Amino acid sequence: MCSVLVETALLGKAHIERVAEHVWEIPKTFRADMRVPARLYADEDLLETALSDNSLVQLVNTATLPGVIRHAIAMPDIHQGYGFPIGGVVATRLPGGVISPGGVGYDINCGVRLLVSLVSAEEIAPHLEDIASRLYANCPSGVGSHGHLHLNDAELNHVLHEGAHWMLDKGYASREDLDHTEEFGRIPGADAAFVSDRARERGCNQLGTLGAGNHFIEVDRIAEVYDQATAARLGIFSGNVAVQIHCGSRGLGHQICEDYVSRFQKTARDYAIELPDRELVCAPFDSKEGQEYFHAMACAANFAFANRQLLAHLIRQSFDEVLTGKITNFELSQVYDIAHNMAKIEEHDVGGRSVRVCVHRKGATRAFGPGSSVLPSDLRDLGQPVLIPGSMGTASYVLIGTTEAMRQTFGSTCHGAGRVMSRAKAKKVVRGSTLRDQLKSRGILICARSMSGLAEEAPQAYKDVSRVVEVVHSLGIGRKIARLEPLAVIKG
Amino acid sequence: MESFEEIEHTADRAFRVTGHDMAELLQNGARAMQALDGPPPAGEPSATQAIQVEGVDRESLLVNWLNEILYLEQVHRVVCDRVHIDELQNHRLRARVETRHCSRNSTHIKAVTFHNLQIREIPQGLEAEVVLDV
Repeated sequence: MCSVLVETALLGKAHIERVAEHVWEIPKTFRADMRVPARLYADEDLLETALSDNSLVQLVNTATLPGVIRHAIAMPDIHQGYGFPIGGVVATRLPGGVISPGGVGYDINCGVRLLVSLVSAEEIAPHLEDIASRLYANCPSGVGSHGHLHLNDAELNHVLHEGAHWMLDKGYASREDLDHTEEFGRIPGADAAFVSDRARERGCNQLGTLGAGNHFIEVDRIAEVYDQATAARLGIFSGNVAVQIHCGSRGLGHQICEDYVSRFQKTARDYAIELPDRELVCAPFDSKEGQEYFHAMACAANFAFANRQLLAHLIRQSFDEVLTGKITNFELSQVYDIAHNMAKIEEHDVGGRSVRVCVHRKGATRAFGPGSSVLPSDLRDLGQPVLIPGSMGTASYVLIGTTEAMRQTFGSTCHGAGRVMSRAKAKKVVRGSTLRDQLKSRGILICARSMSGLAEEAPQAYKDVSRVVEVVHSLGIGRKIARLEPLAVIKG
Repeated sequence: MESFEEIEHTADRAFRVTGHDMAELLQNGARAMQALDGPPPAGEPSATQAIQVEGVDRESLLVNWLNEILYLEQVHRVVCDRVHIDELQNHRLRARVETRHCSRNSTHIKAVTFHNLQIREIPQGLEAEVVLDV
């Protein structure tokens, strides 16, 4: 029998003010250590769900970080994490503001990549089982799984510094792939000198692997298009096949976070930073320690971009192996690749002035609107594509970033459905093999290493992703473009 | 009283662990983490691994110790069985872990976190709640 975590504070609906439709605020007066108010974007039901675990207390905790500016923000997919809530966005003003390794999390640059083809779901239907089998064989999964590529020290340094660009040199990427990747697949500031030997050891043979937990590769059908003109510009057409990749920086990123959260236990004391939760330990961004973490985090982010790029190559190879000579037009082009666990240095308008900030997005997606100079030229007038995967067996969404997101949320929106049931409970109420059979009867193929791992990711363990997306769409902090429905899931 | 129990956590895994003293808390913490990970795969008896870890206080010692075990399991592909504490002084630990070799990675835990971690004095000794990232 599971018991519950000791509550760190009592927080109820009485403490929360409605600011506008779907916008809720916990005022700064709620707790003496809050530096700014905390804001939640949610409808009434999603607010109730957020109140059912410790996630809003975690949100309040992030409002105490030195340098935090405007609001600590939570998206409608908010749920309890460690340190930050998942679905949290916190910007700190630079210079002076902090960077928090726990605010980025262990899976640095966990993110999503979307590939689309011009072939219809009906055309690949007879080959779907073969495709799923090839994907499962070619893309290793599991926490400590090893990939096909074993990097020596020099090669690993190249990956850490160059990210997905290293894959271009090796023939595993196209220029178009890189153009359609956040930060063009290479975040600036990476310096492998600040990555530990242990992190290197964990990462050197994990490139091109999926990992575990909620990571997956999914073959989808584009079920509905809400904005034909924008979707067509992205290569998205109703009825066609798409593929999503959800994974991150693997053991290398986990170790970098672990190294710096451990080290910052002392650093935070040295800078006399008082925090309500030790997982929030941080250092001033411009300090020696803050910079060292940022250099290491950028290395992990680049590793993750390279990892998703190599997985994209392996997926294309799998499609080739199964479909060549049988059908045509199955080539997979990249819509975009987004990060949803990252700290980024950005300029945002705050009170009519452009301010340099460190934006922590922990389970939240950058959603820059039209005109942003960081977008590739072919997307600049549209805004940034935003990829919102649903839970296993449910819909996923493609959104586009908006000017309103720039105004309200530091150019951020939600990242997924958000969990609502613990893994322990999911395993008690769901049988993995039964779930697999149920999904199969709905035409969804599942490949998974473990039936208990499958049960943990059951759709009923998550909120309704459509509801989450409706909230961000109605608020204008992300605009719906298309909905995807799953055909086959390779579970990490 | 059981030495550990699982705690509800929405996204990850968590456990509450007790021990008569710090050495037992560390031993029971390792057992709790492995129990949450599920039955370990079979493996051939391997070597005894020596572990040395330290922390700035007893909470960081507990996290660093558990992370050390995860490191062994993921990188050296072993299952950690029996734990022997040889020396524990001033947040420094010397221990030995009996291991078995596995053909595959035996854990699905990514890391041990510091989330709300506080080792508390209770009538039976010490108690802590630990959140694991999975």
